[in-house]
Amino acid sequence: MSFEGYKDVIEEGDSVILYLTITQVYCVKAQPKIVNKKGNLVDNVFQTPFGALKCFDLIGKYYGSKISLSKGWGYVMQPNPELWTITLPHRTQIIYTPDISMIVLQLEISPGSVVIESGTGSGSLSHALIRAVKPHGHLHTFDFHEDRVKTARDEFQEHGFGKYVTVKHHDVCVNGFGDDLDNKADAVFLDLPHPWLAIPHTVKSFKDTGGRICSFSPCIEQVQKSCLILSKYGFQEIQTTEVLQTQYSVQQRTLPVLNLECLKVSKEEAELEKQIKRDVTKVMSAIPPASVPGHTGYLTFATMPPVWARNVQLNLSDIDDCNNE
Amino acid sequence: MENANEDTNKIKVGDFVIVQRQGYTKLHKIKAQSNLILGSFHIEMDNVIGERYFDTFQMKNTSNSKKFYTLEKVNEVNSVVESLNIEKSGTDNRHIQVNAESQGLSKEDIDKLKDEQFGSSNIVEQLVNNSKTFNMKTEYSQEKYLKKKEKKYFEYIVIRRPTIRLLAQMFYRQDPTKTLGIRVDDLSQILNHANIHPEGNHLLYDSGTSGLLPAAITNLIGSKTEGHLIHMHPGNECQKNAFMAMQFPQEQVERCTNVNLYSVLRCFYQNKDSYKKTQDTEIDNSCEEPAQKKIKVEDGEEQLPKKSWQIDNERACRILSNRVDSLIITSKEHPVNITKELLQFLNGNRQFVVFNILKEPLMDLYNYLKSREDIISIRLCNNFMRNYQVLPERTHPEVNMCSGGYILTAYKLSC
Repeated sequence: MSFEGYKDVIEEGDSVILYLTITQVYCVKAQPKIVNKKGNLVDNVFQTPFGALKCFDLIGKYYGSKISLSKGWGYVMQPNPELWTITLPHRTQIIYTPDISMIVLQLEISPGSVVIESGTGSGSLSHALIRAVKPHGHLHTFDFHEDRVKTARDEFQEHGFGKYVTVKHHDVCVNGFGDDLDNKADAVFLDLPHPWLAIPHTVKSFKDTGGRICSFSPCIEQVQKSCLILSKYGFQEIQTTEVLQTQYSVQQRTLPVLNLECLKVSKEEAELEKQIKRDVTKVMSAIPPASVPGHTGYLTFATMPPVWARNVQLNLSDIDDCNNE
Repeated sequence: MENANEDTNKIKVGDFVIVQRQGYTKLHKIKAQSNLILGSFHIEMDNVIGERYFDTFQMKNTSNSKKFYTLEKVNEVNSVVESLNIEKSGTDNRHIQVNAESQGLSKEDIDKLKDEQFGSSNIVEQLVNNSKTFNMKTEYSQEKYLKKKEKKYFEYIVIRRPTIRLLAQMFYRQDPTKTLGIRVDDLSQILNHANIHPEGNHLLYDSGTSGLLPAAITNLIGSKTEGHLIHMHPGNECQKNAFMAMQFPQEQVERCTNVNLYSVLRCFYQNKDSYKKTQDTEIDNSCEEPAQKKIKVEDGEEQLPKKSWQIDNERACRILSNRVDSLIITSKEHPVNITKELLQFLNGNRQFVVFNILKEPLMDLYNYLKSREDIISIRLCNNFMRNYQVLPERTHPEVNMCSGGYILTAYKLSC
């Protein structure tokens, strides 16, 4: 239940984030036993680089407190969608926080919104969507892979998000989103290999007041097809964008300084001067990593106008963000 | 239910609307009689009242003045690109010469056309007919020419209901300093990293984003929830353009408390009695003994009635003394002192976000936070965002890009 709201104390069954260093962050479950890969029930012991952690011992500890390990220490934190994204078990490719943030804002989701997502995948985006729609809203998420549907459903339940989400096993490209979602959605998110097959089905799912759609595609050919279909089905403000993030490491570096002044005087004098001066300087710098992800996916956003404005085919797609007065 | 929906979708006097002409947007407050200046156009806005959001209006010339236009609601629009019958296209530009004579119409001729009946379909057709080179252009180049001209003489506008997305894009396009340089992707990440649940108490220090940050957080807290935002600002009055534009319901507006940074902290440190006492009377009303109550009333008679800013300060201090669940700092000022001061109000096991347009102040903050033992997972990042033109055979990144600011995120431990 540990994703819902803000929590102070770890309870049995909670998912807990174990933070060791900035690159060593894990998610463990505060329960005495766990099912291993072979399907047997075993003691829930998590091996960290700093020693083993008996996960059962976490129960009763405060979130945000320090815990000792045999060869060091770590911190236990309450999970949230951002920490979940970096620790979740990958069942598919996942969407990361820079894209997730943009999706939530551009889809104009707020508490009370009804959102459709397909596919569910590993549930990275779903957690952020649920946080944004609760407590009055709902997420309807679809995947055509039966096991993923089941795992995701269990996960949402365990995380305390069960009542805000409906997970369905369904191929939306073939079957659409179902009649029960007609005129229900404020926003639709598609992460599909063939989004242009699902886009026509989304039209009737939108509320009469219209809404926003987003399609995430890694390849530009998918984007081109999707944009044509979006425009054909009356979507407006069609805009494709990409967001990439660079994380900096703040470091002090020591650089040697060459003394070229000494060349202007005799060798003896220069020797004297050299002894007095230290020939290094310190600079504070924010250093990007040697290699950063250069591409995740293209985000294509569009607006479905309200019913009374759907007949007016107006080209609103020329949104120009940058100083184009 | 249907009726209620009808009403909220109607444009009423007093509403804030976003007027959209192609990619250009402007915020406007609807009055019984009002004009809007949109670029070089003066538009009389009266005819939008009573119509619905997302309706399209055509700008019509008025007889009395050249620059004045009235609006007429339309149910269809003429697209130049589609209505124009292009007979001939060239294969490349080898025969096209650039000179002043390629366009047969003079500026005066065009102005005359504009005054007779402003509109892209009319003017662009004339431009094309009088162009000596149009038929030599390639098909793609013709389309580009038409789009460019259509944009210039476009006579339709759409009235939109303000949303955080539209406001963020509008302010940033008008002038990035209006939002302290916070671009839409920066905003999205600031909000996401602050882990704002609708039920928590949230603290924001904002030195001027045209009200975008308080509006965006209030929007995430949502209506009919328990969440509360304390918005600290450095001046006498906070900026609230975007907040007003969102037209939140009253109960939601009341859960955003705007306080001056200095005055609220002075109250917190030096006037502890004021807010603690009020808390008692407010919360323990039911179980309080009548005798005690009487004394308090007598005490109160001596005092002047409290000013609204004092009440806000006390309300904010009560929440602060119970600590908050998220902290966002978007400041013009150097962030170290502000963060140092406000971090004490953040609960343990919570995250906080600091934005600055410059990297160096956040590097200072990074080093300060590193020296503290109760802060972990400090990350400093910035974003690269670019938009794409997606057209058949002509897909490429857009020509113009802009650089965003820097975001620092970290977690506070509970110890």
